[in-house]
Formats: sequence, structure tokens, C-alpha cells
Amino acid sequence: MIETIATAESNRELAPGYRMLTINLIEDVRVNPGQFAMLKPRGSLEPLLRRALAIYRVEGPQRLSFLYQVLGRGTTALAQLREKDEVEALLPLGNSWSIETSGGGGAIVVAGGIGSASLLMLCEELKRLRVDTKLLFGAATERAAAGCGLEDFRALDLPSIVTTDDGSLGDKELVTAPLERELREHGHKGSTIYACGPWPMMRRVAEIAAQFKTRCLVSLEAPMGCGFGVCVGCVVAVNTGGPLDYGSYKRVCTDGSIFPSEAIRWEVNAMTH
Amino acid sequence: MSKVSNHDPRLAVEIAGIHFNNPVLGASGTFGYGLEFADLIDLNRLGGFATKGLSAKPLAGNAPPRIVETHGGMLNAIGLQNIGARAFIEEKLPRLRGYDTRIIANVFGYSDEDYIEALTILNDGEGIAAYELNISCPNVKEGGIVIGNSPDAAARLTEKAKRASSRPLIVKLSPNVTDITKVARAIVGAGADCLSLINTIVGMSVDVNTRRPRLSYGTGGLSGPAIRPIAVRMVYEVARTVDVPLIGIGGIASTSDALEFIIAGATAIQIGTANYYDPTITMKVIDGLSEYCENQSLENINSLIGSIKAE
Ligand SMILES: Cc1cc2nc3c(=O)[nH]c(=O)nc-3n(C[C@H](O)[C@H](O)[C@H](O)COP(=O)(O)OP(=O)(O)OC[C@H]3O[C@@H](n4cnc5c(N)ncnc54)[C@H](O)[C@@H]3O)c2cc1C
Ligand SMILES: Cc1cc2nc3c(=O)[nH]c(=O)nc-3n(C[C@H](O)[C@H](O)[C@H](O)COP(=O)(O)O)c2cc1C
Repeated sequence: MIETIATAESNRELAPGYRMLTINLIEDVRVNPGQFAMLKPRGSLEPLLRRALAIYRVEGPQRLSFLYQVLGRGTTALAQLREKDEVEALLPLGNSWSIETSGGGGAIVVAGGIGSASLLMLCEELKRLRVDTKLLFGAATERAAAGCGLEDFRALDLPSIVTTDDGSLGDKELVTAPLERELREHGHKGSTIYACGPWPMMRRVAEIAAQFKTRCLVSLEAPMGCGFGVCVGCVVAVNTGGPLDYGSYKRVCTDGSIFPSEAIRWEVNAMTH
Repeated sequence: MSKVSNHDPRLAVEIAGIHFNNPVLGASGTFGYGLEFADLIDLNRLGGFATKGLSAKPLAGNAPPRIVETHGGMLNAIGLQNIGARAFIEEKLPRLRGYDTRIIANVFGYSDEDYIEALTILNDGEGIAAYELNISCPNVKEGGIVIGNSPDAAARLTEKAKRASSRPLIVKLSPNVTDITKVARAIVGAGADCLSLINTIVGMSVDVNTRRPRLSYGTGGLSGPAIRPIAVRMVYEVARTVDVPLIGIGGIASTSDALEFIIAGATAIQIGTANYYDPTITMKVIDGLSEYCENQSLENINSLIGSIKAE
């Protein structure tokens, strides 16, 4: 983990409302797939808190890129960054995707919307390790799919299924539908599901994984104060321990952001952002 | 974990017989158990820090969402999730002792007995410099009144805590009162060695689409730069009322912010929320204070404490 001032290399719009930010660091970093950074334009006072963004791709030992959707105050501030602007950054943070190959099964990667940002490096790694991988990529529209980096995923040439909510690209259904079909029709014995996307999608993915007794890892989101474990603001409710055990909430930033899906108490609605 | 650090002797301060290498401390709840910062700053350069609030037994805390950013600050309702006093002593203190920084154990409870129980456990902890009582908690035995909002309840707890503790006692004031000097006077009268102020200000934020509060708990504590003028005013008022040293807290995010508190009457300061968005802020403020001493030709920062020029 380093605290540093990085420099923006580019901050390109991929599709309306979706951007890719590339930054240069002044020292080398080692990043594992699924890790994230806390970022903010240097010196900006509004908003105060940095925003968590998954590290989308390592472009070089000192160059990283991020894929993000411009939603509210923090991401709007990041969208203003121009070439050579300075960025306050704390990175890399959180745990990473643990690739399980011992069961002999393959990987099913489920990307929902901008959740894709946490999954590109995982797909690269799965490919490098020659793990039999199926990619299920869901987005709201064709444009959103482009904004969520579909071209970069396609370049990896993995067997994949694309879905959109409006049918403008691929099948008109939720990305959880092909997941269910895959498990029902092909079994995928010993496989692992890796998922990142909106809460309702991941909740459904966890249900399907439980139904088909398939190992499943999810990368979760929660509004974060610090990103390195001190504010204890970004917790999710987990199943371990009794209701008053201090282990019943875990921090997304340092205990996650990746959790086994069965550890999460999905019914705690308050966690839906 | 080397203890070799260059301290600017002009910045050293003393509170209740405890020597601080400088007046810059991390605030409770924003500094974890200290060790989280070991890779980010040189802990040996830090004046000290207050731990996350510790209770006799571990606590799970509130359901999420626990934080929401507002303008110039944030609301939190963490619910005092912590590992418990015993686990702090066993799991954190041994590693913390290796650093040349003052460790203040922040303590809370939901009844006087809870506080005493936590203090009794912590008395065994070698390396703790002082206790800081968080009295902004509801007393469940008295219908949930916040101890820190009642001069009587606060004085009674202070007296008991002072007797139970083997170390200097700092009492952390709640700002959610009409006249903070009344509570301050009562607490000092009951034996507190030092007052720290302020804790967070109770606030609320509403999601207009769902018409629900943005925090699951409903209300939360406001912190960050937005509260600083209120905190400076309260330090100023309390400094003119009591004779014990004060630790100023509330929205400090720069050297000049810290100086405002010192000039208004604080011997030391704590930095809270700013650590979240600038984990190295404590180091920057320490350097900034040295620079200020240089520029103002001050031989010692102590000459600045309470030096405000007002009637
Ligand atoms: C580990 C992690 C990795 C992330 N990676 C990415 C990424 O790669 N790309 C990306 O676009 N975003 C990512 N996010 C989400 C991102 O950090 C922002 O929180 C989110 O975009 C909203 O920030 P904002 O400033 O735009 O909105 P705000 O102004 O803070 O809020 C706008 C709305 O978004 C909601 N909101 C706030 N924070 C979150 C959140 N964390 N998740 C969901 N809703 C939220 C608020 O309740 C509000 O309704 C990640 C979050 C986490 C925790
Ligand atoms: C997330 C969070 C948790 C906190 N937890 C505690 C706590 O456990 N005990 C305590 O006495 N104060 C706690 N505080 C209050 C701070 O120590 C400090 O008094 C307050 O935030 C004002 O300072 P700031 O504006 O610099 O943050 C907490 C503050 C925040 C933001």
C-alpha cells in the first residue's frame, strides 16, 4: 500500500457517462486482480472523501488504468481530470480474487455493469493460467456495455455471452439468466463463479451458486470513508458469529472487497446502495 | 520500528505529567488501533493518538449504511464497533509499544459500571499513557440520556472513573449541549486531568427518493471541516472557564486549523476525519507547526497556547 500523488495520463470517455482514467505513478507497484485504489483530484475540497475504484488494468509497473461510471459528486470530480493533473492515490487496497484450480473445474465470470472494472485483470490471469473460463457480461444497453469495457474483454477471446436489459446487444435478459442455464445444462462441476456487479445481481448470483452447490466469490461495494480499515464505515453483515459477536460485520475495504458469497447476509437490505 | 526520530524540541508539550513530542494526535475512531498507519506515516514522529473507542466487551456496531458524506464533512453512526479492551491489550498493545508515541485508550460504556469495567481491564495494559472517556453515549440505565449532556451524570462518572483508573484521565466533551462550560466545570470539579473537545455534532441526512434517513441508525455524528468553527468557539469558551489543559478536536485539516485551536486555548490537538482523505495529514501538520515556529520566531509552542487577543 502506498500513499502517493499520481499524474493523470488520460481520462477518456468510452461511452456517455463512462470513462477510463490512466495514471502514472512515481514508484513501482504490484497489483493483484480485484484490488482497488482510493482516488481524488489533488487539492479538491468537494467532495472531501476519496472514491474507491477497482484497478482495471496494469499498463506498466508505474501505470494503472481505472474504468468508472460518472454517478455523483466523487466520480464527477474525477471526470474533470485532464492530462498532467495530479491525483491523490492510496493503493493497492483490499484482497484479491483467489483462483481455485485444484477442483479441476473452470471459471464462470459474471460481470454486471461497471462491476466489470474489477474483472478484466481476473480474466487475463485466468487466461494466462489456462483455466477453462466462460464470461457472462451484462449491461443496461449496448452503449453501457461499451462503457464497461466490452472491447477489452472481447480482446481476450474467451467464450462469452453478452446480455443487455433492452436487447440492444446480445440477449435481452439479465446476466443471471445465462448463469443459471450454464449451471443447469452444463453442470460445471468443480467450477468457481467470480462475480461483480450491482447488489441485486450479486444476491441472485449467490442464490444460484447455492442452488447448484458451486463455489462463488463476489466483490462488494459500499460507500467508503478511508479504504484502509480505520473508519469501519463500509461494513457488510456476514454470517459468522452470533448477532453480538464483533465478527458479525466485516469491512469491505480490508476484509474484502472479495468475499465467499455464502458468507454474506444478503437479506440485510440496508446494504443495497 | 526504530525509535530514532528527530523531534523539534520547540513542539514538545506536557499534559497531566505526560510528555508529548509534539501536540499533534490522531483522534479516536479515525486512527484505528494506530497500527493501520504504520506503513503510511512514521508513527515515531506522531505526538500520540487515541484508540478506537474500547468497551469491556467487543461490540458489533450498527447495521450499514454507517457513513454518509455531507458538505464539508460526513455523518457517521458506526455504533462503536470494537474488538474490546482485552483484545486491545493482547493483540495490539505489544506491537504498539515498539513506537515512540503516546497511546491514549479511548473508553466508553452504556452505564457507569461499563466504563469502570473497561478501565479496570485497561489498567493491566502496559504502555497506555492516559485514558480518554467518550461520554457522548446514552446511559441505558437512565432512560438513554447522554451522559455528556448532563453536568451531574458527567461529574458522577468522572469521579468514579478517576478512582478506578491508574492513569491520567482525559474526559472528551460532547458538543450537543446548550452551554459547554457548565459540563466542563462539573467534570473538572470531579477530578478530570484534561478535557478533549469536541466529539461529533448530532446530525441527519435524508434520501429524498426513499424518504428514509441515509444512515440506518437514523441520526449520526457530524465531523470534518464543517464543524471546525463550532469546535474552536467551544475550546475558547472552555479555556476561559477551567484550569486543566485542553485538547482541541474538530475539523482540523491543516496547520493553520491546528493553530486556531492552540491560540484559542488548546495544549494539543487531535486530527480526525482528515486522516481518511489524507492519511499523512498528521505529519504535514507537525512539519507545518515547526515552520510556523520558525517564521514567527517562537522558541516554544507553549507560548502560543491561549494567546488569543480578545478583550
Ligand atoms: C471496492 C470498490 C471498488 C469500486 N470500483 C469501482 C469502479 O471500478 N468503477 C466505478 O465506476 N465505481 C466503482 N466503485 C464505486 C465508486 O467508488 C463510487 O462510490 C460510486 O461511483 C459513487 O460515487 P459518486 O461520488 O459518484 O457518488 P456519490 O455522490 O457519493 O453518491 C451518488 C449515489 O451513489 C450512491 N453510492 C455512493 N457510494 C456508492 C458505492 N460505493 N456503491 C454504490 N453506490 C454508491 C449514493 O448512495 C448515491 O445515491 C467501487 C466501490 C468500491 C467500494
Ligand atoms: C467514523 C468516526 C468514528 C468515531 N469514533 C469515535 C470513538 O469511538 N470515540 C470517540 O471518542 N470519538 C469518536 N469519533 C469522534 C472523533 O474522535 C472526533 O472527535 C470528531 O470526529 C471531530 O473531529 P474531526 O472533525 O477532525 O473528525 C469518531 C469520528 C468518526 C468520523
